Amino acid sequence: MKYELVVDRKTATLSVTDEHFEYRREDGTVAGGYSVVTAGDVAGSVLIEGRSYAVTMLGAGEVSVNGRVFHVEVFDPRSLRGRRGPAESSGPQAVVAPMPGRVIRVLVEAGQEVAAGEGLIVVEAMKMQNEMKSPRAGRVAAVKTAEGATVSAGDVLVVIE
Amino acid sequence: MFRKVLVANRGEIAVRIVRALREAGIASVAVYSDADRASLHVRMADEAAHLGPSPASESYLRIDKIVEAARRHGADAIHPGYGFLSENADFAEACDATGIVFIGPPAAAIRQMGSKTAARKLAMAAGAPVVPGTEAAIDNLQSAKATAERLGYPVLLKASAGGGGKGMRRVNAEADLEAAIRDASSEALRAFQNGEVYLEKLVPEPRHIEIQVLGDRHGHLIHLGERECSIQRRHQKVIEECPSPVMADDPELRHRMGEAALRIARAANYHNAGTIEFLVDGDRNFYFLEMNTRLQVEHPVTELVTGLDLVQWQLRIAAGEPLTVRQEDVRWSGSAIECRIYAEDPEQQFMPSPGRISRLREPSGPGVRLDSGVYEGWNVPLDYDPLLAKLAVWAPTREAAIARMKRALTEYEIGGIRTNRAFFGEIMDDDAFRGGSLTTGFLDEFFARRKAVTPELESEAVAALAAVLAQRRSTAAPPAKTSEWLQTGRESLLR
Repeated sequence: MKYELVVDRKTATLSVTDEHFEYRREDGTVAGGYSVVTAGDVAGSVLIEGRSYAVTMLGAGEVSVNGRVFHVEVFDPRSLRGRRGPAESSGPQAVVAPMPGRVIRVLVEAGQEVAAGEGLIVVEAMKMQNEMKSPRAGRVAAVKTAEGATVSAGDVLVVIE
Repeated sequence: MFRKVLVANRGEIAVRIVRALREAGIASVAVYSDADRASLHVRMADEAAHLGPSPASESYLRIDKIVEAARRHGADAIHPGYGFLSENADFAEACDATGIVFIGPPAAAIRQMGSKTAARKLAMAAGAPVVPGTEAAIDNLQSAKATAERLGYPVLLKASAGGGGKGMRRVNAEADLEAAIRDASSEALRAFQNGEVYLEKLVPEPRHIEIQVLGDRHGHLIHLGERECSIQRRHQKVIEECPSPVMADDPELRHRMGEAALRIARAANYHNAGTIEFLVDGDRNFYFLEMNTRLQVEHPVTELVTGLDLVQWQLRIAAGEPLTVRQEDVRWSGSAIECRIYAEDPEQQFMPSPGRISRLREPSGPGVRLDSGVYEGWNVPLDYDPLLAKLAVWAPTREAAIARMKRALTEYEIGGIRTNRAFFGEIMDDDAFRGGSLTTGFLDEFFARRKAVTPELESEAVAALAAVLAQRRSTAAPPAKTSEWLQTGRESLLR
């Protein structure tokens, strides 16, 4: 079966049968016989033509191979879900928390006009402050958080329209 | 010797101290905030006391609560670790006033060294070289201009109460001086509640090298040589080593710097462990920077090379025992390197990355020492410093130590959060690092020349293969073939 992948932000394909694989990326192709054993659902060993690789599934799409971590997204050919296109640059745009943290300052309020690059919110984690800036000029449609709130990575903080 | 010691800290250093206490047969008391109830140091200690809410200002910085916890648990001494209250003279005095031994230097030495200008004066009086500059805080622009003119641009503005690069500004020309003083002063005021700044000559392309000293309560003081700490990011050290590559062909420099450090420590009536930081210029002139009146984060590299256990000596010295190691007994053997493993993402401007550690495999094998404060399944809180662990290695030569560090880094797997682990592998491969030509500007230059590393094709294919097989297992309804990921493991367990 053939799979489309994104490995460390670059596209690649993997064709795989029970004993054989072919991996193709932009600058090269590698193919061969393989064998896999695992202990539990985390650590395993992969042999390719007698060459040994220690593999650990780190979770969230991360795979460690001999200590080198790869981020791998797999797109199943049978799945109807297509890959999502790039985010729209017009229309309402969400500003999301880049890291888990605590909101220590909200610099704007709903309805306010902002310029591109203007500071919106300051999030602090691990003694480091990070100012979230507006991705474009527009109006603050909503502020979805408040000073003192704890946020997770990916949480919507402000919507710009 | 003490019967029970309270460890007024958290994370890897609290674990380090609890380990030393256990080896010495002394009971340990951990302290924790709300965020740290499940932390490793609490799990490892014999007893634990709750301090309060997660913010450090309501827990680890509360002198009253910590002293009260020590009294309640019957501790006869407190080890402050580094950071938090470790360089707080009021804390040392509060311990003394309650009859609890503060495991560290006298309060007066902490206070004197806590003021950069007072420390400078003391170092000058002790005959140690200091960076040319003013000892006094700037009180008006005219005299500041005159001083800067005399020193010659570029000059450096620094906060009197400072540290960690806060309140620090490089000034290239007189036209920039006024604004720089204003910025540095307001930054210092926010960070340290003290807006005093002073001027120093900027030492170009310096190395940052520090000397470890150790002294007992009976006036016997020795130095344990240097640590090279030039590799810094935002004025925070990330890699330290002993010996410094600059000492390799100039052992006389270690002797001269060690003697200067001892003169300063003696002048401060110092006892216990302390560190004297110097800048070293291209001509191997060295200048006193400041004294850290506590155990340093990077103490393991000194321990690996000298074979001395600094925390055990801290305990013995605080208990009044004599330091039985003479200066001529101190030997420096081999080479040690330490990497600070932080929960932060080197691919995104080192943004903090707290969260749950979903997977953890720790390195081991010959010459590897890991001082870690985390475990698999634990949530790294967002309230504190992002230091997770210190990976240190020892080998007979620097070259072998670098190879060993590379090897240990590849055995270290941390899943669920981002860390700077892989970034250290790139530095170990860097020609400038391997050549030992280090300056405090090293990382800025490294980022400028850093190239994207294209992963070896077959390793990447293995990652893709593993991910595909894992996904097939989790989504496929029909029974899987024998060679597939996960299934083989389950089957072998059933046999």
